Amino acid sequence: MSIFEYNGSALIAMVGKNCFAIASDRRLGVQLQTIATDFQRIYKFHDRLFMGLSGLATDAQTLYQRLVFRHKLYQLREERDMKPETFASLVSALLYEKRFGPYFCQPVIAGLSDENKPFICTMDSIGAKELAKDFVVAGTASESLYGACEAVFKPDMEPEELFETVSQALLSSVDRDCLSGWGGHIYVVTPTEIKERILKGRMD
Amino acid sequence: MKLDTSGLESAAPLFGVTSELVDGFSSAPSFELPVTTDFDGFQKEAIQMVKPARGTTTLAFIFKEGVMVAADSRASMGGYISSQSVKKIIEINPYMLGTMAGGAADCQFWHRNLGIKCRLHELANKRRISVTGASKLLANILYSYRGMGLSVGTMIAGWDETGPGLYYVDSEGGRLKGTRFSVGSGSPYAYGVLDSGYRYDLSIEEAAELARRAIYHATFRDGASGGVASVYYVGPNGWKKLSGDDVGELHYKYYPVMPSTVEQEMVEVAGA
Repeated sequence: MSIFEYNGSALIAMVGKNCFAIASDRRLGVQLQTIATDFQRIYKFHDRLFMGLSGLATDAQTLYQRLVFRHKLYQLREERDMKPETFASLVSALLYEKRFGPYFCQPVIAGLSDENKPFICTMDSIGAKELAKDFVVAGTASESLYGACEAVFKPDMEPEELFETVSQALLSSVDRDCLSGWGGHIYVVTPTEIKERILKGRMD
Repeated sequence: MKLDTSGLESAAPLFGVTSELVDGFSSAPSFELPVTTDFDGFQKEAIQMVKPARGTTTLAFIFKEGVMVAADSRASMGGYISSQSVKKIIEINPYMLGTMAGGAADCQFWHRNLGIKCRLHELANKRRISVTGASKLLANILYSYRGMGLSVGTMIAGWDETGPGLYYVDSEGGRLKGTRFSVGSGSPYAYGVLDSGYRYDLSIEEAAELARRAIYHATFRDGASGGVASVYYVGPNGWKKLSGDDVGELHYKYYPVMPSTVEQEMVEVAGA
């Protein structure tokens, strides 16, 4: 198994009508052994910007800590929050700095940009940005996730319907993956509120 | 490579086959040396070709009332789950069970082959084969294919004239008699639960619950085990399937979700 599959992870971000949802699984494992079932993969940078990190857990945590540092500096200097597009460029640059000794992570960035337009993007481990209009996925179950999202996605979903759709796609995909699952964690973000929910899934 | 047709040969030795060199003994099978310079490593290549993963959890134990056999039902190919509903407890005959761990095709074929051999033994000798005999037949077959990449980690459990019997047989040629075994990638977790809860004088329900719990805990911790926990009991009248519970539901039965107190209030975000 490759280094990206050492810990196991699954991430989805999906766009709705003036809202977005970002969801992850909750397993932390060491190859086949499960160590924790409450591992946090999605981090909030500010109320309109979330990032999930899949791949090697130690690199995910280090990368998150470095980005929080850069973002807080930005907030102090600019006296405002970072826009999601700017943040995506920052992450991409930070990853390419390590081009010949990369972080073994794949970030998924989701946020609300100007005029409350939802923004999602994903990157590979050396910073190649992929902007999508509908959904992005990452992790060991990514092939299953692509299939599931493609099947259930509809444009302009309301927050409640978006929550149902993303939950279904995530749970059914991780049920086909040995290395991810053991529950789900989903944030549905609109311009006025952030709803965080834990999903009850198969614990095997 | 010659296929193993020993079941079709008659038991009487052939006439006139004597070796001048070995006085008094029938000619012993000679060791053919492999045509290679790397004696220690050449077998590894053959085994790696088929890449046995043994992603599974199976267990069996003997207790006062008989033998309890349990297994999960997940088949995995690397990280991908190919099936959640594989039958890993194979019914060799009405009073003997075999468990499957390792290559599915290998286990299914050789268990069926063993069932054929056991039936032939019954017809030739007018009595059922013992668990000792059946496990020896399988172990000898697997030993003759040693190094060719078969992947079989099986337990033969049954009830014969001497009472309950349990043997562990694997494709390396090992055969062990014992009272408690667990095989597969989830076996360390199953052993933990099994060893701490085991008593010889368990009742059938208690033993079934112990087996079910051990499989459940293994499916929770091991990524390559999951699906349905099947539990079989082998008694004086043969085997009987006791239960097949989905481990997803077992988790919430053993650890029901309590509504937790709210730690963080949802914050109203000011509109942009």
